[in-house]
Order: sequence, then structure tokens, then C-alpha cells
Amino acid sequence: MTTLTHRRLSSHILNRLIDEAPSEPAMLTDDHRRSLSARFRAVPANDHRRIDAWMVERAGRPWGAFRWSPATARRVVGNAALRRTTLDASLTRFDAVDSEVTDQLLRYASGYARAGSLAWYLATCSPAVLGLVSAEAANWATQLAEAAESLDHPWSIATSDAYYDIARARTTLRGRRDLVVTSSQHRILMRVRAGAPGKSAGPGLRADLTIDALADVNGASAARIIGLWPEAGVVLSVDGTMTDLRSGARDLVRTAVANQRQHLARAA
Amino acid sequence: MTSVLDASPLNVMDVLRGEREHRPLANTSAAAGLRAALEDGIYELLGPELRSEPINVRASALRHGALVFDPDGAPLAQLRGILINQALRLLSAGVEIDDVCTELVVAWRAEVGRTPLTELVDRLDADELARLSTDLTSHWITLKRSLGPLSSRWLPRTSLRAYQRLAGGNVVLRDVVDLMVGTTTGDVASVALLDITTSPLGEGAERVMRYHALVQTLRTSTVPLRTSMFSTATGELWSTDVDDELLQRSVIDVLRSLEQLRAAA
Repeated sequence: MTTLTHRRLSSHILNRLIDEAPSEPAMLTDDHRRSLSARFRAVPANDHRRIDAWMVERAGRPWGAFRWSPATARRVVGNAALRRTTLDASLTRFDAVDSEVTDQLLRYASGYARAGSLAWYLATCSPAVLGLVSAEAANWATQLAEAAESLDHPWSIATSDAYYDIARARTTLRGRRDLVVTSSQHRILMRVRAGAPGKSAGPGLRADLTIDALADVNGASAARIIGLWPEAGVVLSVDGTMTDLRSGARDLVRTAVANQRQHLARAA
Repeated sequence: MTSVLDASPLNVMDVLRGEREHRPLANTSAAAGLRAALEDGIYELLGPELRSEPINVRASALRHGALVFDPDGAPLAQLRGILINQALRLLSAGVEIDDVCTELVVAWRAEVGRTPLTELVDRLDADELARLSTDLTSHWITLKRSLGPLSSRWLPRTSLRAYQRLAGGNVVLRDVVDLMVGTTTGDVASVALLDITTSPLGEGAERVMRYHALVQTLRTSTVPLRTSMFSTATGELWSTDVDDELLQRSVIDVLRSLEQLRAAA
């Protein structure tokens, strides 16, 4: 049985979800990894496929090509800006966002940015669009900081998303994570999402939890993953139990199958 | 305290922030009662059956009334409102704008991509574009002169969306607050909400101000300090402190609007 819970967002609820996280999260072994690889290898792939929680939530349905915009840039810039403010308390969120945008532009100017990267996008933006990126990123950083600052436990901004390449299956899994909370030796992941959670939000969280455990060298699952939907004032959580990890892995494989079927249907 | 300024205020932000020492303690207990009142009222209106499609309540329905509002009927006015909202976002980020119309349209396109409204801009002839540009510049100057300095220490957030699903998903309250400052994590109430409109303020504006406060309370479980509305057409600012009475009136507004929306469906 899944451990998905649904609550209204408040600092009290967030702290309770962290305090009451399971004390012994599941561990993935090499057998689990081998079994998952075999299942993915059984699904033919035309190109290298990338699967994430969003794709799981859409049941593998393809969407338009990725396009940078102020809304798609906000998470990367906002998280990096919040990381800066945790290192230098004198920085305001807008100062931190400005520093991050400037760093990205410097990366582009020094030739380190590839075409299609965030730095490349920002370098092609007019000052007005850059202003909009800053406004979006500051919104993101502020709502993430409001959630983080209300926690009673130590937290940090995740240094990167979790990536896991599946051996000989031409598949990369990407698990998003925004905050990592440390509580009595366990990790608790937090993700911030825009809008309101749909019916498939639970499977999306489970996919992120599973990919994070796969990306961990020891296969240790986070004790719990908490999804925040600040715009809806809602919190969902899933525990790091073996049942949920298995369910998450099944959803990822199903997504690959559904995606391949749709690809074949389009080609026919 | 309610401030009604007939003349363009010297500084909207000063009114919004008010005196720090006069701020009440944060009210984190009102949200549950308001939600219960809404749920009860919706049950009386819609009954227990789950609808196939939810009824969406938006601030626009409260401003104009469900039967009157038709944004498609005045696309240029809608466009003007959207672009002035972009202007506020750029002001909050400290961006200087020279060519108001061109830069706001560029910023807006970067955000929304291709929509029927962006296509409408493409189809405007030189005269219509010039009229839009003049109109925008006039609203922009009023906004810039009146808003005042927006310190990043006040945690300004722009175009904040909110969704509240009620009655098992039968009703969804949707809202966008143009500017929010302050934090919900402090011991005292400090959140101030500002709606910018390019229309003159009328009776509907009060309902919209109350609606913003209600949805914000439901979303964060914390009652905001103040809700305000500024018209770039007239330079008027309406601002009122949020209290239990205001929130209860908003519950009645929402239920009344819901009744109209249901009848119109």
C-alpha cells in the first residue's frame, strides 16, 4: 500500500512531516538495479530517452520541444540564488538573483556555455526579458525560502538534481529535488511545484524518490519526499519504503513503454 | 484603517507597508473557519453531487459580475492590463525601460510564447500600435511615479497565482495577485497585497480586494495585513486592513458570484 499523504501547507505540518518520517528507509541493492536495467532494456528505444517525474505524470505522452522562458529559467536561477543567500546573509534575494544571472552571462562571454544552455538563453535576452527572469526567480527563491525558514531542522539547497543512467538501456532518469532536510541521520527531500497537484502528482513524487535512491551510491532512499504546491497551499508526501520504491520503478518502466508505443503510433 | 486617496499618492509602497509598530499579531486561526463557511455555503448551493467540470471563480467575475464580463470583447484593454502588469514586474526587478511599448511586448512574448493575443498585436496597424503605445506610456508613467521605491528587503513577489479547490473539487477559486510584499513566517502580520488595474476603481474593486485577501488566507493559513488596489487610469489607491469582517464579507461575495456563475452555466 502506498504511503501517499495529502495535507494543507503550514509550517506546523511541514515540521510534523519531517519529525514523523520513517526511521528506517529502504535500501536498493545491486539486484534491484539489475532487475530495473533488464526491464528497461526490454523496451526498445529509438533514441536516447530521458524520463522524469513530469513524464510519469503525463503517462509518457510527449510534449513540445523544451523552450527557455522566464518560467522555465526560474527554478535553476532561483535555487542558485537562494544557495547564495545561505552563504552570504547580507545578500537580498534580488541581489542574489542578479549575481547568479551575471555569473551565467560571464560563463557565456568566456565561451563556457553551449548552445541551448541557460547561459546561452540569458545572453540572448533583452534587458526587459532578463528583468522578467529575475522577477520569476525571486518569486521562486522567496517561496522556497519561506518553506525552508519555517523548518526546525537543518536544510540545504540541493546541489543538483539526481541523474541515473541505466546500463545498456539508452535511458537516463532525472529526479528533481529542491531542498534536502537532515533529521536524525536521515535525508528528507522537498520539491516545490507550480500550480495545483493533479491526480498523478503522487506517482510523480514516487518517481523522484526512486530516482534519488538509484542515484545514491549506496542505494539509500530518502526517508520521505515532500512535494510543496505553494500556489495551492497543499503538501503531498511519500515515504521511502520498499513498496513505494517498487511502485516508483514500475511507473518509470510503464512510462518508457507508453512513450515507445506513442512513438510507434506516430511513426505508423 | 482604510485609506482612500483621491489624489495620486506620493508613494503607494508607503501606504502598503504602513507603520511597522502598528502591525497586529499574525492571525493563523481564521482560515479553517472561512474554509468551513465556504464549504457549507457551496454545499447549500450545489448539493453533494460531484460535478464533471468544476466551477471556476476568478477575481474578474467578482469585479464585473458573471453575466457581464467578457474579456474577448475588449482585447486591447485586456492587452493594456497585461502589459502594465509586466511593467510592474520589471519595476520590482529594478529594470529601467526606455521604449515602453516595445520592451513590454518583448518581455510578455518571452513569457507566453504564441497566443491569440500576441497574434492580435502582430495584426495591429501603425495607427493602432501608436494608440496602444501612447496609452501604455501614460499608464506606465502614473505607475512609476506613484509606486515609490520597492526595497528587495520587503520580499516583493509579482504575479502570484493561487488555486483553492473546495467542495471536493466542485469549485476552484483562482486568483493572481499582482504584487505581494512581506512574509507569512513572522509573528506579526506583514503581508500586503496590491492589485494594479488600468480601469478606474469602482464597487467591484472592493470585492476584488476582499477576494485577494480571502484566497491568500486560505492558501497560506495566515491572514494578510493589508489589501490594496491601484488604478493607473486615475492614480487612485484604495487600501484596507484585513480583518475578520472583511474576510466574512468576501465569503458572501464568493457565494453570490458562484450562484451567478451557476445560473449562467
